[in-house]
Amino acid sequence: MASGTPILEASGLTKSFISGERTLEVLRGVDLTVEAGESVSISGESGSGKSTLLHLLAGLDACDAGTLVWEGSSQIDAERRGLFLGMVFQAFYLIPELTARDNVLMAARMVGRIGPEERQRADQLLERVGLADRANHVPAKLSGGERQRVAVARALMNRPKLLLADEPTGNLDEKTGDLIIDLLLELCRETGTALVLVTHNLAHAAKADRQVRMHDGLLA
Amino acid sequence: MPWSLYLALKQLFPSGKRFPFFTAISVVGVMLGVALLIVSISVMGGFGREIRRMIVDTQGDVQVRAGGYLSNIDQVMGAIEGTPGVAAVSPFAEGVVMLEHQNKPAFPGLQGIDVNRINDVIPLNSYIRAGTLDFLDDDSIILSSRLARSIGARIGSVVEVYSPLLLEKIKADEVMLPRELEVVGIMEIGHQSLDSSLVIVTLRRMQELYGLGEGVHGFSIKLDEGRDPDLVSRELNARLFEVAPRAFARSWMDANQDFLFVVQLEKNMIFFLLIFIIVVAAFSVTSSLLIAVVRKTREIGLLGAMGGRTRDVALCFCWQALIIGVSGTALGVALGFTVLHFRNNIIATFTKLTGSEEALVRFYEFANLPAHLSTNDFWLIVGLAVAISTLAGVLPAWRAARLQPVEALRSE
Repeated sequence: MASGTPILEASGLTKSFISGERTLEVLRGVDLTVEAGESVSISGESGSGKSTLLHLLAGLDACDAGTLVWEGSSQIDAERRGLFLGMVFQAFYLIPELTARDNVLMAARMVGRIGPEERQRADQLLERVGLADRANHVPAKLSGGERQRVAVARALMNRPKLLLADEPTGNLDEKTGDLIIDLLLELCRETGTALVLVTHNLAHAAKADRQVRMHDGLLA
Repeated sequence: MPWSLYLALKQLFPSGKRFPFFTAISVVGVMLGVALLIVSISVMGGFGREIRRMIVDTQGDVQVRAGGYLSNIDQVMGAIEGTPGVAAVSPFAEGVVMLEHQNKPAFPGLQGIDVNRINDVIPLNSYIRAGTLDFLDDDSIILSSRLARSIGARIGSVVEVYSPLLLEKIKADEVMLPRELEVVGIMEIGHQSLDSSLVIVTLRRMQELYGLGEGVHGFSIKLDEGRDPDLVSRELNARLFEVAPRAFARSWMDANQDFLFVVQLEKNMIFFLLIFIIVVAAFSVTSSLLIAVVRKTREIGLLGAMGGRTRDVALCFCWQALIIGVSGTALGVALGFTVLHFRNNIIATFTKLTGSEEALVRFYEFANLPAHLSTNDFWLIVGLAVAISTLAGVLPAWRAARLQPVEALRSE
């Protein structure tokens, strides 16, 4: 549930891409505030700029104009991003050479925090997402739903304050997709993590605390 | 462990999978290059060392020679023995003679030695294969092994020796009979040309054959352990100038510098050419890692999204190249030393199959394939192999570092 403290404030975000001789204006002044513990869904048609917005919110891309503030600071370097943010993608992006447990632990390794406590947390998270018995399996031996559950556990490994999910059910069947969305929302509520969920599935979007719709580069 | 190293190790040796093909090929490439370098440089080093050993064992550490012969032996010997660093000295006289046994002629180099002193300077006793040096007197001779075989002489045989002085007298219509000397020893140094062309008599007999009177052609000198032959030669020359201005001391390195230079040059050329095998292996590492960068573009984007710094992402590929280099080098060293250990068996099998055993000995002049790898050469090979392999990761690392996480995540 929202606590009233903003952890992400975006205002007047614009972003355009040059394609040949054309300039595509993808975002045309987006304003969005996310409070701690809140879940916000962003829905819209394909190509409406949802993923571009998510990349800006993650600090992975720079906006042409506008401001972004992550918990009081307009700067987010790689190290801060690893601690402050968790990300879940449509294509899971698990590292194929690592087991499920090592994939989850990779998030902790990358911020230089790896020890017995982190190993225990990784096991707890895998148990929580129902994969305790698959912890030593590599991604190739997991189903799509299982892979996405590992990705969710990985995103929550460093106790981020904000989780950004980009079409997390896009590669899953409807039933598995429903389970993943429920799991994601449940875990975010349990851990007090704010969630920005990008989806074109309106039923999934409706499950968030707040729904916004993206149309023609603007949020409504 | 930094995550870049952890991920590099996992990508090369993934969990729950067999040894990946690309890793194996890259490691094998470096391994073969290193093994070949170790074997080749060791054999070249072995040849060089054998040649050096042979020079020192037949000439001593330093030799004093004059343009012709030296007659004031006692004075010169006193000056040499009084020089710091000189452990022992032995005079010699040398020249070419004609030798005949059972109508089989040969034209070896004849060396007249001081039987009482020679073993203090040159380990001649250790090269005697039959007979003994103790029996060498003015009426006997020691033959080198191949020469003895070629003229059919053995211990107890009597050979006829014609010196140039003798031949001169024959030309002047004087009737001169050749010296008849009994073979009391057969020696084998292990070098084909020396074993085919060297005979030894007493110094007195040589002086008589060449008409030297009391004179000698020079002195072989052994130095105290660890003494620099060049420095002692300089000191000797300063002292000899007083007693024998024509005499000149030269270290074995100085006297054979052209030959030693060629030996070293050959070794350097082989090193230079064979290092390219490792360079080619490094190109294979580069291409494999570049393919990995393309194949893992989205993963690279993910690492950025998860908080990975650009330099750590780049480092991950450098680590992979370093690990391949270190593994390939370690295996190459093991393979190289294994081949060296069994080199004579390998050569024997090969020459037996091709029927080239005799040709090999004749051409290379050694009975066994020598091998010696100096510590410097070893670390040079290891260092270069690891450095070149690691450099192979720089280009893939640079490509990976240039990828923007957001672009990488968007890639299809």
